[in-house]
Amino acid sequence: MRRMVLALLITLLGAVGAASMSGCAQQVHAVVATPRPSYAPAPLAMQEAKGREVVAVPGSLPSPDEELWVIRKAEGPAPTSDENTPGTGALMAKLPTAEKQIPVPLKHTDVKASIAGYVATVDVTQQYQNPFDSKIEAVYVFPLPHDAAVNEFVMTIGERKIRGIIRERQEAERLYREAKSQGYLASLLTQERPNVFTQSVANIEPGKAIDVHVKYFHTLAYVDGWYEWVFPMVVGPRFNPPGTSDGIGATGRGERGTSGQATEVQYLRPGERNGHDISLAVHIDAGVKIEKVESRNHAAAVDVSGTTADAALSGEDRVPNKDFVLRYKVAGERLKSAVLVQRDPKDKGAGYFTLMLYPPEQIRELPRKPLELVFTLDVSGSMLGRPIEQAKAAIRAALTRMRPDDTFQIIRFAQGAEQMAHRPVPATPQNLRKAMRFIESTDAGGGTYMIQGIRASLNFPHDQSRLRFVCFLTDGYIGNEAQILAEVHRSLGPSRIFSFGVGQATNRYLLDHMAKAGNGAVAYLGLNDNAEEVMDQFFQRISHPAMTDLAIDWGAMGVSDVFPQRVPDVFVGRPVILAGKYRGEGRTTIHVRGKFGNEEAVVPIDVDLSDAPAREGIAAVWARRKIADLADRALWDGGGESLPGRITRVALEHGLMSAYTAFVAVDSLTRTAGEYGTTVAVPVPVPEGVKYQTTVPEKQEP
Amino acid sequence: MKYRAVTVIGLLSLVALAPAPPATTSREADHVITYSRNHVSFETVDIYIDPQGHSLAAYQFELKVAAGDVTTVGVEGGEHAAFREAPYYDPAAMARRRIIVAAFNTGSDLPAGRTRVARVHVRVGGGERPRYQATLEAAADADGKPIAGATVTVEQGAGT
Repeated sequence: MRRMVLALLITLLGAVGAASMSGCAQQVHAVVATPRPSYAPAPLAMQEAKGREVVAVPGSLPSPDEELWVIRKAEGPAPTSDENTPGTGALMAKLPTAEKQIPVPLKHTDVKASIAGYVATVDVTQQYQNPFDSKIEAVYVFPLPHDAAVNEFVMTIGERKIRGIIRERQEAERLYREAKSQGYLASLLTQERPNVFTQSVANIEPGKAIDVHVKYFHTLAYVDGWYEWVFPMVVGPRFNPPGTSDGIGATGRGERGTSGQATEVQYLRPGERNGHDISLAVHIDAGVKIEKVESRNHAAAVDVSGTTADAALSGEDRVPNKDFVLRYKVAGERLKSAVLVQRDPKDKGAGYFTLMLYPPEQIRELPRKPLELVFTLDVSGSMLGRPIEQAKAAIRAALTRMRPDDTFQIIRFAQGAEQMAHRPVPATPQNLRKAMRFIESTDAGGGTYMIQGIRASLNFPHDQSRLRFVCFLTDGYIGNEAQILAEVHRSLGPSRIFSFGVGQATNRYLLDHMAKAGNGAVAYLGLNDNAEEVMDQFFQRISHPAMTDLAIDWGAMGVSDVFPQRVPDVFVGRPVILAGKYRGEGRTTIHVRGKFGNEEAVVPIDVDLSDAPAREGIAAVWARRKIADLADRALWDGGGESLPGRITRVALEHGLMSAYTAFVAVDSLTRTAGEYGTTVAVPVPVPEGVKYQTTVPEKQEP
Repeated sequence: MKYRAVTVIGLLSLVALAPAPPATTSREADHVITYSRNHVSFETVDIYIDPQGHSLAAYQFELKVAAGDVTTVGVEGGEHAAFREAPYYDPAAMARRRIIVAAFNTGSDLPAGRTRVARVHVRVGGGERPRYQATLEAAADADGKPIAGATVTVEQGAGT
């Protein structure tokens, strides 16, 4: 009968609130290496996880039907021992009025994720504290996935929890300022980029602690047989072209307001380490047997049991300076396209859905046409060191996979763009040797004038007899994303862009959207990844035609508001996810029609709406995609005057963060004495593999 | 099983369609808050529900601003452990002068007497003392049955 109460509330409060409430009932189950009884069988079931070392953990034995994997991150190139590697000393932030060095105001971040199929529910709790002897405002610029549908914000003061209210951004900022200036404890969450957010907490008194909890939903990527969940931990440094002020600036710790940009990230200096650490636990319910689980960048304990798995970040790997990337693979070769729904409790027979559309198997049987490959390499300062070496290794690997009837070009860009040859050249042994020499002579340094690289890569005559692919290798550390994406859209022509994110904490928003705008696909090349494997997968993808010109007949499903509005092309190993609203019940068949080269194909997908798997968060995922679609359109054509209003309306209706909405929470019962005190930014480490001296501009001596 | 399902649907319909309990009366706060035209203040609005001796497992109320310049800036949970978590509000129904708040608890330790179920934090401007009106849209016990006669009360509370 308890369920009746839940159902009652769901009916009354409506889809969005109810979604959140049902999440409340379903506590996130994040088990970390559950202690096993001492009578558990001695042999530890171990599995080799694709080249990763497997070690047993004492006192943590699996039960007979479980496997326990402890996965140590891959042995990559030895970490540099230069002064950029964060040390182990306590980080000290200096309050302007204080003499002694003291810890920073963000103590800990706790992340709990629950993955059901390809939808993730993520709870992030940031624990702020004031270690200083006077009142502070804490400001923390942090990343979240760019498709995160953030729809919950709760501020905790001791035992009391105050749910934040979603408001138009300007109003939320005004409310926060008013509360702050009167001494009230208040918090504000704003979005600076789809993947960069600012958390401000005002009037934290000395010795006091405040928790801020954020909840979001998003969908996992499916990459070459793996579902991939990513949690970014640090905002990488961005290059902002001269004359811009709405970018994301980088400064040294304690140098607030010196970048000239609207948003600033303060970076720890070499040898510094802040006291902020992170704990992270993920529960996966795949619905089918899980075959493998991998943590790409971090040491993690993984516990697999049939269709479920739990992963937890190792206590020894808690410096938040790179993306946490967890992948899982399910048993079986053939994956079927499938629909997930969230029914609308206010409107029987209606709701929201996502469709994951897998490429049909016959794509793999079709040969490719000759290629015209353009490798565009970011050689700006942030790529200095291991990133540029990884990128060069990837291009070398790609060159060896070309056929003699293919042509290629290499372009490198930083302050300007420089190309290997006047025009693409055939992949002859002589030209390949010349290319290798060109790559070897490449060093990194200077600003990231990416627009130059885009123009050089796209603005030249197209060879009609070949398929043109532009491989863009970069960390994406720029602050003018909108300008770059607009240029891609304007100049694309017959090209497809395949973006490769190189590094441990890349700008995934830019890289994903470059590929999306470029009718291609994105891939990530971590500093510990095997560049040859990544390029093998890329050639797998481009060696077969994409399924293009997709049109969908939804059968008896009354479908509306499908996003993205233009169904993207489907490549081998890369399904696409669509989200929309539906009306209808019972069984129907969806037909996806498309072309492979000159051939036409139809993919039927059977759906039973009465029995389709229901998932919390689908409505929020849909709303976030609608907002992203509206924002993308603004890049191409300005979006019209009403665009901010349209985005705001969707965001407010669904209680979602966006560029035009923000969460604010004020505790009217906690009014502190005096002025609001000093604003203290939370300094962060530079991303792993990135150098401090290329991150923070040197101060000019007067 | 079939009977059970029908019962659930029936109960849901009954609760959803039942005439709403009467709107509340407001009580005065213990202390005095002064309002002036140029002054912005932050204060609380406490919402009490009296389930008349029944165990309160779920509720939904609508809080309207009858007078004054009021903006909601937070929603806090109540005094009983069953409703201490911050309750949910319906963003689609959210407006400057109205908020719909709801919560439920599936546990067995539930309040049966008058209890503060939520505390709404508000910003008040404009120099006018605000007035509120609350409507209890639903109150149900652990079996999902509507609680007849449950009442809601608003108290303009602490703040400065």
